[in-house]
Amino acid sequence: MAYLKISNVSKQFGENAVVQDFNLDVEKGEFVSFLGPSGCGKTTTLRMVAGFERPTEGQIIINDKEVTNVPPNQRKVGMVFQAYALFPNMTVNDNIGFGMKIARKPADEIKNRVEEMLKLINMEKYGTRYPYQLSGGQQQRVALARALALSPQVLLLDEPLSALDAKIRVSLRSEIRAIQQRLGITTVYVTHDQEEALSISDRIAVMYQGKIEQVGTPFEIYNFPQTAFVAKFVGTLNTISAEVVDVNNRILKIDGFQLETAENLDGRANGDKVTIAIRPERLNFIAQERKANVMDTRIENISFLGSVVRIQVSVGSNRFYMDTFNNPFLELPKIGSTDQMTCSREAVLVLKD
Amino acid sequence: MNLPFGWLQFAQNRFKRQQKPPDGRRKTPFWSWVWFIGGTLYLALPLLATFSFSLQMKRDTISLQAYKSAFADPAFINSFLFSIGLATVTIIASIALIVPTAYWIRLRLPQARRTVEFITLLPFVIPAIILVFGLIRIYSQPLSIPFTSLSMGQSLTNSKYGTLILIVAGYMVLGLPYMYRSIDTGMRTVDVRTLTEAAQSLGANWYTIMTRVILPNLRTALLSGALLTFAIVVGEVVLASYLGVAAFGPYLFLLGQHRAFEPAALTFATFLLTWIAMGIIQLVTGGQGQTTGAH
Repeated sequence: MAYLKISNVSKQFGENAVVQDFNLDVEKGEFVSFLGPSGCGKTTTLRMVAGFERPTEGQIIINDKEVTNVPPNQRKVGMVFQAYALFPNMTVNDNIGFGMKIARKPADEIKNRVEEMLKLINMEKYGTRYPYQLSGGQQQRVALARALALSPQVLLLDEPLSALDAKIRVSLRSEIRAIQQRLGITTVYVTHDQEEALSISDRIAVMYQGKIEQVGTPFEIYNFPQTAFVAKFVGTLNTISAEVVDVNNRILKIDGFQLETAENLDGRANGDKVTIAIRPERLNFIAQERKANVMDTRIENISFLGSVVRIQVSVGSNRFYMDTFNNPFLELPKIGSTDQMTCSREAVLVLKD
Repeated sequence: MNLPFGWLQFAQNRFKRQQKPPDGRRKTPFWSWVWFIGGTLYLALPLLATFSFSLQMKRDTISLQAYKSAFADPAFINSFLFSIGLATVTIIASIALIVPTAYWIRLRLPQARRTVEFITLLPFVIPAIILVFGLIRIYSQPLSIPFTSLSMGQSLTNSKYGTLILIVAGYMVLGLPYMYRSIDTGMRTVDVRTLTEAAQSLGANWYTIMTRVILPNLRTALLSGALLTFAIVVGEVVLASYLGVAAFGPYLFLLGQHRAFEPAALTFATFLLTWIAMGIIQLVTGGQGQTTGAH
């Protein structure tokens, strides 16, 4: 049985259904992220696991024990908040040792554990400082140490890096992942930042309007989005309406051009309208003669994005983004010129309705 | 590229505002100084006049005789200590009532905040005389249970302790706007909701959260509210006079009817006491209350 099991959980605030029929199993030691836009219900779901909100329906099981109606202070769940939530009247040492003092652990044990935690977050010299004497990144590391000090069953992180600047965000997320792997602690992480979720998670649950759209590894979520929302939300994606021309041979048509897909078109019929998706980096200009998946394009715009150059092209009435790695010796096409574009049949994804 | 450009414009405008005029001198904000000096004189002159007057009890000499005389009066000591006692009880009762109320509103009933804020402002628009007549009218009869014919014991105004309960309750009402706002602002500053949840996730129960997390972080707010309540109670006349309580306010008022120098001395001493209390608050709370990070 899964270590953390969220079964058929729904949450309603008045008439507003914030979370609907949420089902997820998290294995022991796994790092799962809830990814989605603001208001999709990811934080509410996390808060239900923490015990701050009570589900309207469903049940939550941690380590084979149902905790749906257990108060938050009895769940043995560690939580890290976006706003750090360190106690301003306590030093770093006192903050980290707070939970152990509440649990009436012996003073020696508390002292040793606090030192251990400070070492874990590389802040051995900061024990006597107050939160206002620390930077945002340091405060969040202390908050992490405080949550871990009691060796919780599950660690919950609610957008812990949102209030930090870009560089610290990147370094701290690696630190969080490293600590999680070292301790092997089951972790649920809430974020709206797809890069963050993709970089640190074992699995991602993409949420939209209170429901799970797709659960999968970062690789699966990015490369094989199953719904139009996941396709649009995770990374940049060209989504185009196409018509099924030949179900058996998996041939689609957009603006007079035929595209072959590797995806199964079972359940579709010739003439059906479908939405297809192609990642910008899977498109490229034709270097040698090809017969399949070739489209005549007109260059509309070119944007320089640092390591990547994004070229906007039109194919009939449709527009595509095409990404190519930046190379100082790369000869870019001219805006207004025409060229031929192609992609592999595996790059053409057919999204679920 | 809106953000960097907007930032640049902001920086330029700020720089322009800070630039000195071409002759190298800062422009004198003439009217600002006029208002500042006018305001200072308006506030300071009566106080200085009172202080000066209080030193002239002995003809043709400057002395502290008025202070000696005022402090020597046993009625002063009694009424002052009594008022301090009333203020202390009022402050404790107000904190006991308002802290959990404001806390619960922030935590669970944010939709009730506007209604409660409106109620806390009522003492500003309803004069104390209305309050005291209301109290006397209702509590001069034996307490009755609404919508029943049951009544309990004697009226509150007919007993010493009953009257004290009434006056403390009245003072709590008068101090409500200051105490509630201080505490509510303090709670907003420290984000009590998140702190509560953080403490809960670490295993703390409500009592521990209140005593070890919330109250210590509201120290500044509680001290500010307490000081303002103290100042109101010590100087209050109407409630104490109509409820027949021998407090400091009525004593000062009566003294002013018969004497000239002592009331001036006591008025100035009261001001001084308030300033000292404010200074203590500054000292005690200095450097506290920063919750954001040092970047």
